[in-house]
Amino acid sequence: MRPRAAVSAALASAGILLAGWQSGVHVADTRSAVAAASTGNSSGSSSGLGTSGSAGTTGSSGAAGTGAAGAAAKAGGTYDGDIVQTRFGIVQVRITVKAGDITDVTALKLTDHEGRSVQISNYAAPILRSEVLQAQSADVRTVGGATVTSDAYLTSLQAALDAANL
Amino acid sequence: MNTQLSPRLGTEDPRTPDLGLPAGRDALPGFAARHRRRLLRADALTVAAWGSLAASVALWLADGGTAGVSTVASGVTALGIVAGLAGMDLVLLMLLLAARIPLIDGAVGHDRALEFHRKLGKPSLYLLLAHGILIAVGYGMAEGLDPVSEAVALWALVPDMWLAFVSLALFIAVVVTSLVAVRRRFPYEFWYVVHLLTYAAVLTSLPHQFSVGGLFAEGTWQRWCWTAICAATGAALLYYRVIQPAVATFRHQLTVERVTAEARGVISVEMSGLQLQSLEGSGGRFFIWRFLAPGLWWHPHPFSLSAEPMALGNDGRGLLRITVRDLGQGTAQLAALRPGTKVAIEGPYGLFSSAARSRDRIVMIGAGIGITPLRALLERTPLAPGQATVLLRGHSGQELYLGDEVLELCRRRGATLFHLVGHGIQSLPTAGFPRPGTWRATP
Repeated sequence: MRPRAAVSAALASAGILLAGWQSGVHVADTRSAVAAASTGNSSGSSSGLGTSGSAGTTGSSGAAGTGAAGAAAKAGGTYDGDIVQTRFGIVQVRITVKAGDITDVTALKLTDHEGRSVQISNYAAPILRSEVLQAQSADVRTVGGATVTSDAYLTSLQAALDAANL
Repeated sequence: MNTQLSPRLGTEDPRTPDLGLPAGRDALPGFAARHRRRLLRADALTVAAWGSLAASVALWLADGGTAGVSTVASGVTALGIVAGLAGMDLVLLMLLLAARIPLIDGAVGHDRALEFHRKLGKPSLYLLLAHGILIAVGYGMAEGLDPVSEAVALWALVPDMWLAFVSLALFIAVVVTSLVAVRRRFPYEFWYVVHLLTYAAVLTSLPHQFSVGGLFAEGTWQRWCWTAICAATGAALLYYRVIQPAVATFRHQLTVERVTAEARGVISVEMSGLQLQSLEGSGGRFFIWRFLAPGLWWHPHPFSLSAEPMALGNDGRGLLRITVRDLGQGTAQLAALRPGTKVAIEGPYGLFSSAARSRDRIVMIGAGIGITPLRALLERTPLAPGQATVLLRGHSGQELYLGDEVLELCRRRGATLFHLVGHGIQSLPTAGFPRPGTWRATP
């Protein structure tokens, strides 16, 4: 390599890396703000998680006593899915059922290890929710770039659907 | 030894020399300036290559990658991600270097582009291996698993990851078979087929980059960047390696006219074709030839033109010629080529043309079969009398292939010709120019 090329390449590379790093610091700042906000949410909902965890078991025990459960599902109510462990944190969803239809899906807990996972979760959850509501089942496509979260979400959802006897 | 092409050698050629530059013996194009521009282009490409490597890492930095490093596990994972990004960037650079893109080949030459391609082979493999290992270790540490169990879990549980493992295995196979020591043990065809697996390796590596890697999650601008560079590389390969050769083959419709013996084990293949005026100035450069005859069609041969393409009519119908020495089984078969055989071509490639000249005065040195592209270049490269010196070397007078034609061209163009025959390498001084009298000035 000629000196001219070597020097230019070194300068250009350094400039590109610096620019990337600078904008990265910026992104990280906004994201840690988001992460803080969502940690607030999840701590808020994790107090609910304690109860919903037991609600989950009641849900499944309700599913065990299936005799009247079919009718109960038709009547509606909320059902919590299983808690699913992933490498990026735990995932649990709750469904709201009315007259045999899934009317809402709420994520009680989403993958939240490291800022990146929070961002991915925040992005993937609304997509999954709308797809599930449309398909009325857990049989939907996973979200690209969020496969781990998606799989856990849908697994938990399926448990909730089973509990609701749908 | 004179061939059918020789009558033209005696006639004055009214056309302007190649490259669309002013004709005439006094108005030579500014070779020095063109040479500087070419070097500048080569340097710009070098900067672009290193810049792309930096940019691939910058994509991760711009995503706040460093801020996510808080534990040892996340640090190892981060290193793994950076290794993967850099490795993929090198793989894409390798593909571009081998794509025969005129911008690259014209700046550094096809041979040097391939040399860089080879040099990047091992670094890219090491980066990809490091990527796999570091990710397995980093994820494993985060989950409390050993790297092997983590790798198995990734393979079994995470979609697209098994493809990534297949891809890594293919990359290892491709690089190992390309090591010089391994490559010597196998025939060219074996290496070639394994090398084609590169495409499979790259394609199988793509899904996990977009689905598992969070950096390229849907909705990120990084996803668009990465998609764009992958697609651009694919498009360049498709265009320059597939579409352009197909177009050239169809456009020129080359057909073998005749095969002549030049000397023992050396043949010239003359081909007729269409629109050959567009190939003017490519004398000395090489094409990759496929003779579409049974048992031959799948074997690509890189040979240089041994004469300028000659357009005879206004429609560009004309002749071109290659001269080939019988060096292997494949080239031996060419002697049996029948007139009328269709020929598929890729090219022209290489820098052995006026485009590589850096000054007005030139020395051309050719030995054995290497004389033949020199003969083609001598035909048309802009030259004033006395500006060129030609040195030919052969074991015998017989091995000064096309020597008669070179002699005639030198006379016509006012170039000085020297030749040396015999086995007496040891008679040459070890340093400096050969003793006077060793090289014969050809009258």
